[in-house]
Amino acid sequence: MIPKIIKVGGGDVAEVQIGGTLPLAFLGGPCAIETRAHALEMAERIGEVCVGLDIPWVYKSCYDKDCRSSENSFHGIGMDAGLDILAEVRSAYKIPVVSDFSDAAWAARTAETVDLLQIPAYLCRQTHVLKAAGETGKPLHVKKGQFMSPWNMKNSVRKIEATGNEQILLTDRGTFFGYNMLINDYRNFPIMLETGYPVCFDATHSVQMPTSMGNVSGGQREFIPHLVRAAAGAGINALFMEVHDNPNEALSDPNTQLDIRYLKNILAQAKAMHAARQELLEEWGEDRVHLDD
Amino acid sequence: MSTSTTRTIADILLPPEAIPVVPPRTLVKEALEKMSASKLGLACIVDDDGRLIGLFTDGDLRRLLLRSQKPLSALFADDIIDHARREFTSVRADTSIDDALNLLQEREIFDLPVLDEGGHLQGLIHLHPALRALLGE
Repeated sequence: MIPKIIKVGGGDVAEVQIGGTLPLAFLGGPCAIETRAHALEMAERIGEVCVGLDIPWVYKSCYDKDCRSSENSFHGIGMDAGLDILAEVRSAYKIPVVSDFSDAAWAARTAETVDLLQIPAYLCRQTHVLKAAGETGKPLHVKKGQFMSPWNMKNSVRKIEATGNEQILLTDRGTFFGYNMLINDYRNFPIMLETGYPVCFDATHSVQMPTSMGNVSGGQREFIPHLVRAAAGAGINALFMEVHDNPNEALSDPNTQLDIRYLKNILAQAKAMHAARQELLEEWGEDRVHLDD
Repeated sequence: MSTSTTRTIADILLPPEAIPVVPPRTLVKEALEKMSASKLGLACIVDDDGRLIGLFTDGDLRRLLLRSQKPLSALFADDIIDHARREFTSVRADTSIDDALNLLQEREIFDLPVLDEGGHLQGLIHLHPALRALLGE
């Protein structure tokens, strides 16, 4: 199967191509849009790192956090206000932006602003959500549910394809391992690649410990670098990380967002690992260990 | 034992709507359901133009189960074309019933897809209707 390449952005912002043997792309930003000033500052600072490392990237932040553990948690800045801020980030830095949506009725409005439309992991098999996303015609970033097997993501893909949309990025963000704990199964990358679509690794949500703290999710940020290096060597096309300048005070996912001071170090290694894998495959050929050998 | 020379397999042909015809990206699980519903031991995989590009039989399923190490849930989610046989015996619609029966016997198979010159699926010869035709003589 010929690997598909998805194209995010273009026109008045940079075009980021993801897939095949293209260089590693990065999707990153604060989990939630907190304020206009914070969003712009984070876009500028992350952009400086990515430009310095020559890594194509997409700014990520969300206006609605519908999957919070508690009724009392920060739920987001709201769709209109959030999309206005994302539009300003997009315009100011000429970069594509990605945001998710949690209600099928929000898909079209969100797609008017964003370059890449994200389907949250918990909603990755919801037909109305997937159809609404597909019908926008925008490239889609679908996170594999923590409860989903990688092979069953094919059903989600087929639901989207039924709308005529074939611009899909599939992301692994960890798999439930008992209660309140995730584990990463790196077989998920080659299995999801069998759909033909590029795959992404969400490093910061992978270290999440869902609702482990009663009314909020915990996480072990210290494992982010290890998981990133392993994933970059395991055949991903893109890396996703939520990045914050003060994670402990973040309004959302304080226990898993990456402190921006570590971003350059981790992205540089991810890029090097990804490139090394490509070089090894060019030298030694693609993996050919098959069932019938 | 011989059938009437005036009869061809067109007289005992199961039409495409009576057999499990599936596109190549059908899930294994869906193909098996179609096979069971039709009470036939194979699925005919056709491309967008109706050309037969593969067969998946009960025997293929047995062999697959014996060698596959995948969880059954993963195997069910595979595309049927990934496990289909790409080479198969077929006949044209003007083949005689005698010749078709001889082929079934020689190859020790139960089914013969019937194709036109372009490889498009016209139907299927299944052993039991063929036997009924033979015994009815």
